[in-house]
Amino acid sequence: MNAKQKAALAEYLIALADDELILGHRNSEWTGHAPILEEDIAFANLALDEIGHARLWYELAADLLGVDRARFPDQQVFFRPAADFRSLQLVELPKGDWAFSMLRQYLFDAFEQHRLTGLSESSHMPLAEIAVRVRNEELYHLRHTRAWVTRLGLGTEESQARMQAALNALCPYARGLGAALPGEADLPLGIVPESAALYAAWLDEVSAFLAEAGLKLPGETALAETERRAHSEHMAALIAEMQEVARLDPEAEW
Amino acid sequence: MSDTQWPRYEVFQQEAPDKPVLHNGSVHAPDIEMALLNARDVFARRPEASQLWVAAAERITSRTREELAAGEPAPSTAGEPQTYCLFGKLAQQAQASLLGEVQAASGAAAIATAQTDFEAQKVLRWWAVPLAALLKSDPAEADPMFAPAREKTYKDQAEYPVVTMMRKLRAGKRLDE
Repeated sequence: MNAKQKAALAEYLIALADDELILGHRNSEWTGHAPILEEDIAFANLALDEIGHARLWYELAADLLGVDRARFPDQQVFFRPAADFRSLQLVELPKGDWAFSMLRQYLFDAFEQHRLTGLSESSHMPLAEIAVRVRNEELYHLRHTRAWVTRLGLGTEESQARMQAALNALCPYARGLGAALPGEADLPLGIVPESAALYAAWLDEVSAFLAEAGLKLPGETALAETERRAHSEHMAALIAEMQEVARLDPEAEW
Repeated sequence: MSDTQWPRYEVFQQEAPDKPVLHNGSVHAPDIEMALLNARDVFARRPEASQLWVAAAERITSRTREELAAGEPAPSTAGEPQTYCLFGKLAQQAQASLLGEVQAASGAAAIATAQTDFEAQKVLRWWAVPLAALLKSDPAEADPMFAPAREKTYKDQAEYPVVTMMRKLRAGKRLDE
C-alpha cells in the first residue's frame, strides 16, 4: 500500500473503532442497572469487549500512520472533540429500555459478523489476523444477543411490543451500516469488504431471524443520517462524560 | 427465600480436559440455554474453562452424610433407570467434584448405589444430577465460548502507579520520595 492508501485504511479503522467505542461506552451505562445480576455481568462484558476491539483497531491505525501505538488510543478516545468522531448515529443514541439496547447490540453484532468475515480475508495481514481474533469473540456476542432477541420477541405482549417499538426506532439508523466507511473508496480491492455488499447479506439475515422472533422489519423508511461527520444532539454529552476525568489531568499516570 | 422470579441453575466447570469437573456456583436464568450463557459470563470470563455444564437446581437430589447416617426409607427402585452424574463434596472448603456415573431409578437410589460404589470416598454431601438434566457446552463452540478469556491479560492491581501513590500519601510521604 502507498502512503495515501495507508492513510485511507487508518481512516477506515478509526471509524470502525469509533463505532465499537461509542457502543461499548453507551452500553456500559447498564452496569448496575441491568434487569438481573447475571445479565448485568454479561452485558458489561460485551461492552468491555467492544471497547477492547476499538483499542485493537486504533492501534492498527497508529501503525499505518506511523505514530505511537501505545498513546494513540487514549489520544483518540479522551482528547478528540466530539465532532471528530466518525461513529454512526446508531451507536450514540441513548440506551433506551432493555429491548432497545439489546436489539441495537444484536443488529450491530450481526453486521459485524459479516464485516469481520470479510476483513479476516484481507490481503493486509495484520488486519486479517486481528479480524479472526475479534470475530471469535463476536460469535459469542451474537449468540448472546440472539438468545435475548428471540425470548423478548416471543415473550409477553409487553416484551413483544417493546421490541417492535425498538426495531421501528432503530431501523432508520441501522441502515446507516450499509454506507461506505470513510476511506473505503480509496482502498485497492481485497483490503476491506464492500460495505454495500455486507449490508445486503446482513439485511437478509436479520429479516429472517427477526421474523422468527415475531418481529417485523419496517419497510424502507427515510434513510437516517449516514454521514459519519454528522452527530445527533446526544453525542456531545456522551463524549463530555467519557472524557471528563482524563481531561482533568491529561498527564496523569494511572 | 427467593430473590428472583427465575429458577436457579447449578454450574459445573472443568478448567482443562485433564482437570476434574467441579461445582462452581449457580446462576439464575429463564431457561437452561440462557443458564449456560450466563454461566459463561459469570464464571468463565477470566478463569480458564474447557467445559461448562448447567442443570436446574430442582432436578438435583442432595444428601448430606448426616442425613444418610440418620437413615431413610429404602429408595424406590420403580421406574425407568437413567444415568445420574454423582458429585461429592469431600471437604468443608472444597467444591463438589464429579465422582462418576451410576444407573438408577431415582436420585436417592443413585446416591444409595454410590455409597457402595464409591465407598472409599469420604463424601460430606452427595449430589445426584440426571445426565438428561445437564446441558453441556458444545465442544464445537468451545473456541468462541472460552478462547477469548485465555487471550486476555489483566493488569495486576499493584501495577497501577496510582496504588503506590496512594500508599505513599496514606503513609504521609511525598510522592517524589
